[in-house]
Amino acid sequence: MSAYTPPLKDMQFVLRELAGIDKVAQLPGYEDASPDLVDSILEEAGKFAGGVLAPLNWSGDQEGASWKDKAVTMPAGFKAAYTQFAEAGWNGLSCDAAYGGQGLPKLVSAAVQEMWKASNMAFSLCPLLTLGAIEALHLSGSDQQKSTYLPNMIAGKWTGTMNLTEPQAGSDLAAIRSRAVPQGDGTYKIFGQKIFITYGDHDMAENIVHLVLARTPNAPEGVKGISLFVVPKFLVNADGSLGARNDAYCVSIEHKLGIHASPTCVMAFGDNGGAIGTMVGQENAGLKYMFIMMNAARFAVGLEGVALSERAYQHALAYAKERIQGRDIAGSAASVAIVHHPDIRRMLMQMKSLNEAMRALAYTVAAAHDAAARHPDEAERKRNQAYVDLMIPVVKGWLTETSNELTYLGVQIHGGMGFVEETGAAQHQRDARITTIYEGTTGIQANDLIGRKIAREGGATIKAVIGLMRQTEAELAQQPGAEFAVIKTALGKGITAVSEAADYIVANYGNDIRAVSVGAVPFLKLLGIVAGGWQMARAALVAQAKIAANDKDPFYPAKIATTRFYADHVLSTAAGLAHAVVHGGAGGMALDVAMF
Amino acid sequence: MKILVPVKRVVDYNVKVRVKADGTGVDLANVKMSMNPFDEIAIEEAVRLREAGIAKEVIAVSCGVAACQETLRTAMAIGADRSILVESDVDLQPLAVAKLIKAVAAKEQPQIVIFGKQAIDDDANQTGQMFAALMGWPQATFASKVVVSGDTASVTREIDGGAETLEFKLPMVITTDLRLNEPRYATLPNIMKAKKKQLDVLKPADLGVDVTPRLTTLKVSEPPKRGAGIKVADVKDLVAKLKNEAKVI
Amino acid sequence: MSLLVIAEHDNAALKAVTLNTVAAAQKIGGEIHVLVAGSGCAAVAAAAAKIAGVSKVKLADAAHYADQTAENLAALVQANAAGYSHILAAATGGGKNLLPRVAALLDVAQISEITAVESPDTFVRPTYAGNAMATVKSADAVKVITVRSTGFDPVAAEGGSAAVEAVAAAADLGLAKMTGREITKSARPELGAAKVIVSGGRGMGSGENYHKLLEPLADKLNAALGASRAAVDAGFVPNDYQVGQTGKIVAPQLYFAIGISGAIQHLAGMKDSKVIVAINKDEDAPIFQVADYGLVADLFQAVPELIAELG
Ligand SMILES: Cc1cc2nc3c(=O)[nH]c(=O)nc-3n(C[C@H](O)[C@H](O)[C@H](O)COP(=O)(O)OP(=O)(O)OC[C@H]3O[C@@H](n4cnc5c(N)ncnc54)[C@H](O)[C@@H]3O)c2cc1C
Ligand SMILES: Cc1cc2nc3c(=O)[nH]c(=O)nc-3n(C[C@H](O)[C@H](O)[C@H](O)COP(=O)(O)OP(=O)(O)OC[C@H]3O[C@@H](n4cnc5c(N)ncnc54)[C@H](O)[C@@H]3O)c2cc1C
Repeated sequence: MSAYTPPLKDMQFVLRELAGIDKVAQLPGYEDASPDLVDSILEEAGKFAGGVLAPLNWSGDQEGASWKDKAVTMPAGFKAAYTQFAEAGWNGLSCDAAYGGQGLPKLVSAAVQEMWKASNMAFSLCPLLTLGAIEALHLSGSDQQKSTYLPNMIAGKWTGTMNLTEPQAGSDLAAIRSRAVPQGDGTYKIFGQKIFITYGDHDMAENIVHLVLARTPNAPEGVKGISLFVVPKFLVNADGSLGARNDAYCVSIEHKLGIHASPTCVMAFGDNGGAIGTMVGQENAGLKYMFIMMNAARFAVGLEGVALSERAYQHALAYAKERIQGRDIAGSAASVAIVHHPDIRRMLMQMKSLNEAMRALAYTVAAAHDAAARHPDEAERKRNQAYVDLMIPVVKGWLTETSNELTYLGVQIHGGMGFVEETGAAQHQRDARITTIYEGTTGIQANDLIGRKIAREGGATIKAVIGLMRQTEAELAQQPGAEFAVIKTALGKGITAVSEAADYIVANYGNDIRAVSVGAVPFLKLLGIVAGGWQMARAALVAQAKIAANDKDPFYPAKIATTRFYADHVLSTAAGLAHAVVHGGAGGMALDVAMF
Repeated sequence: MKILVPVKRVVDYNVKVRVKADGTGVDLANVKMSMNPFDEIAIEEAVRLREAGIAKEVIAVSCGVAACQETLRTAMAIGADRSILVESDVDLQPLAVAKLIKAVAAKEQPQIVIFGKQAIDDDANQTGQMFAALMGWPQATFASKVVVSGDTASVTREIDGGAETLEFKLPMVITTDLRLNEPRYATLPNIMKAKKKQLDVLKPADLGVDVTPRLTTLKVSEPPKRGAGIKVADVKDLVAKLKNEAKVI
Repeated sequence: MSLLVIAEHDNAALKAVTLNTVAAAQKIGGEIHVLVAGSGCAAVAAAAAKIAGVSKVKLADAAHYADQTAENLAALVQANAAGYSHILAAATGGGKNLLPRVAALLDVAQISEITAVESPDTFVRPTYAGNAMATVKSADAVKVITVRSTGFDPVAAEGGSAAVEAVAAAADLGLAKMTGREITKSARPELGAAKVIVSGGRGMGSGENYHKLLEPLADKLNAALGASRAAVDAGFVPNDYQVGQTGKIVAPQLYFAIGISGAIQHLAGMKDSKVIVAINKDEDAPIFQVADYGLVADLFQAVPELIAELG
């Protein structure tokens, strides 16, 4: 059991000073998102996260979702919490106002989502999947489909799922085999089995809207023959009321390492004559729609990384201040709290500095996403979209990989108590484990990054980003003090590492794709570390300006000290990763499969 | 009928305050501020009375610095219809606040004014009673249950060792105890609406109220720390110490 | 200089807190008068007249003071305030209800819950839930004060012989009408709200021992019952008894830890108690590091003795 207090101060700092909430609020349609409204939203969302969701995190983990007679029962308290969540209107925060949402920017949604995920990751997956389904329908659905489903989904009365994965089709969706048979009346009957379907069934809402990838008869093989269908648990009558139970059932749930309260369902469509659905958008364009949505989904999973790390940090920090063990290494009369031990300090700083870097990176990408969608100037939209496309695999891959390391440190700080489930520290580590797997594994993210996002365009976007990083480096050079000298040097070396590795990728992707791909994940981490360091450096510059303007808030010197730690302990690893990218290909592929 | 709810901006109840080393007060720099929890209960009760059709309008009032506007926005996000800030940088003591609220009440003519029973910063537990005295109204302090019907209200009050129920004729003052209700979480649409609700700013001088403090704080110090414990010889010794030294039995 | 102390009573008997309030008045110095307002409360006035250090008792006996409603009492105090430099009452539910109203009627500040008197116009009072003690000086002609009883040792209930003087009742304002009063007596207080908590740990040995030993002790002290997790896990008592990090967080005036070793998870739930008493047979048990009063003893002997000693 642990409490969760949203890090409002850092969130607000990033929103205002790094991500530019004031600029986002100038974009057409986002005028409501004034910084003080955003403050109130964060404040109230934080109360809800801390007061309603966080207390169910541990009990939900222990009890887990359960399955009986083709139906899932959620752990105690979840249904009531979900009802409260939906009635408070949180589900529709970033959704289209025309269907009952509040139409707020991605940037605001990112901060609020971090709170849901940190307070109760398993719970948060339900609204997350609903949001994905809302986006798919909003993007590609017919007017009829939108008016049938969107208002209730945005209000949270109905939830949504994404049914992609099948036993033989995981990372490679081209292998999907589910079938959709046209009935001649505009509807289809869906047959097939889907696995790993998050919130495929539950008892928190009156209807569940499944979005299902399937093939029509005679569809071409591979990725070009997959269509998207909307298949509700209960059919919806013309007047909007709920009709017959559809032939889509949860036939079992998985027993997992983490997110125990989030039901991961095997879904059987059409075992009893066919599940009725309608096609979303064009035939055979299903995967294309999925790819458009994928940015949002991958970004959201990336946020899970920082959210869980923050929760683990708060948990570990509280323990470190309380647990008395051993004398101060430099001598003390009595035993001290372990927070006085330098190694514990190092671990706490590792968690704190990376959390702040991850948050800054994620929120600035969210702000770019808003600009890419709404900026009046076409060139600005394009520039921002290119940045978002480049950074999405990094946000997804780096944040989730890092959260596995940081939640591990959270356990480590607890010592033996961390290994004991009742302490609750282990839950964060178990929950974090899935984040590098679903929504495309880190390997898949890294392939996307080096292939489509870098090699394919000859490194144009990443070079532009490197240029921006160099500008920050130049600003650092003008600051007085030893701390800024350290930060400047470390960032400079990090940028050079990214630059050399990116050049290598661009130069060799065409002629030695295997060797380059061995370095895909190391490169993803390298870019994450340096991009995070870049945001930390920007934060330190803002802090320095505040201090120069005589602001006495201890937050600012702490920001600079934290950035310095990051420079010495995290940015310093950049060169090693660059080496692995540039020189590690040969070793990675040297052994023949038969030699393993 | 209108209900007026005075709300105070105080250090968040989760914050462990630190006494300043120079003894001039507690360190409030960069400390999280929130609405006084008892006042949240007061707003909730007022909003419930409006939702039940008993009140027509709920008006939140705060007396204090400009930042109290945030507190008023919170009150409006919970459901207050509009709000008034009486802005002053002076250290406003309970009697001054009671007088300011009286001046506001003279304009607004509420039938019920609901205060929190005490603010968790100065822990005075005075303002509601003082306001009631100035108005010559009845006061239902430390309320744990409120039933309004027509121009009377039946209020259950928490008293030492139990509870009592009294009947009052409106207009009246109620001060809230913790058990009166559990304040709701603000909904997102209401948070957004709160931004657009009316918030008027007045100055004490506009209301003709002298807010000069009557009490001066000479110093603020830490409470005595738990002294190193002692071992007692036997049960007799223990009971004697509890009676005479600790005075807890 | 004369001071007026408002007596706390239930028409039948004077409440002991009045003695602490008189003690505070004595610290300030001056002639102390006690106002007894009630209905059929002559016995209270007689008791007040015996309090050491009281020189006059004013008795206002009228039906509309029976319920001690603040509206009527405040008007009475206001009518009798002339000539007093200080008006004091105990910081009880009743005193806190009444005195701010009196202060406003007199157009003076009220000083809440003083725990010490520095001089006739300067007092110490807790703020921020007791985390900061403020020393405040009043500029008003009349100081209206509520007194926290734990700050002042009671004066002797006997020894004085003040005159009882009847004063006229003020008019019945008719602002409030009592319709019911319920005083909870027998039921044990809740853990969260209790002033005294008796907690037992694994050292109790069994559920049977726990109830046999601790219930009579709790009855004596009007205490709530609590437990360590080990006691809960062993099935001595239900879950909701658990005090600690994963149980209830409590901060009573007096906390008894009996047969509890004092693990940090347990301490997290009770370390803010005002006075902690530990009974444990192991003199090195960590609980003694936080206990104000530690008794190294076998609880099976010590607890029955304690019950007897409390009488
Ligand atoms: C708890 C949970 C919830 C889920 N929720 C949903 C859901 O709601 N909807 C849904 O449709 N799916 C869901 N999934 C499925 C999830 O998206 C897949 O598990 C994931 O995409 C990986 O697919 P796979 O399990 O088949 O692994 P595989 O594809 O078999 O991958 C195994 C390993 O091979 C690597 N690999 C595979 N292909 C390549 C390649 N081309 N290049 C490099 N490396 C490669 C992977 O990185 C991985 O390390 C969920 C899964 C889990 C466990
Ligand atoms: C994640 C986690 C959360 C926890 N949360 C809580 C919590 O909320 N609350 C809690 O209490 N614990 C909690 N614990 C458990 C805690 O660590 C201790 O195990 C527990 O408090 C010990 O209970 P105890 O003191 O009753 O038992 P013990 O530690 O076994 O102590 C029994 C004591 O009784 C004394 N004793 C035995 N016989 C006698 C006798 N005849 N006369 C006098 N003394 C005697 C012994 O000397 C000993 O000191 C938690 C543990 C974990 C891992």
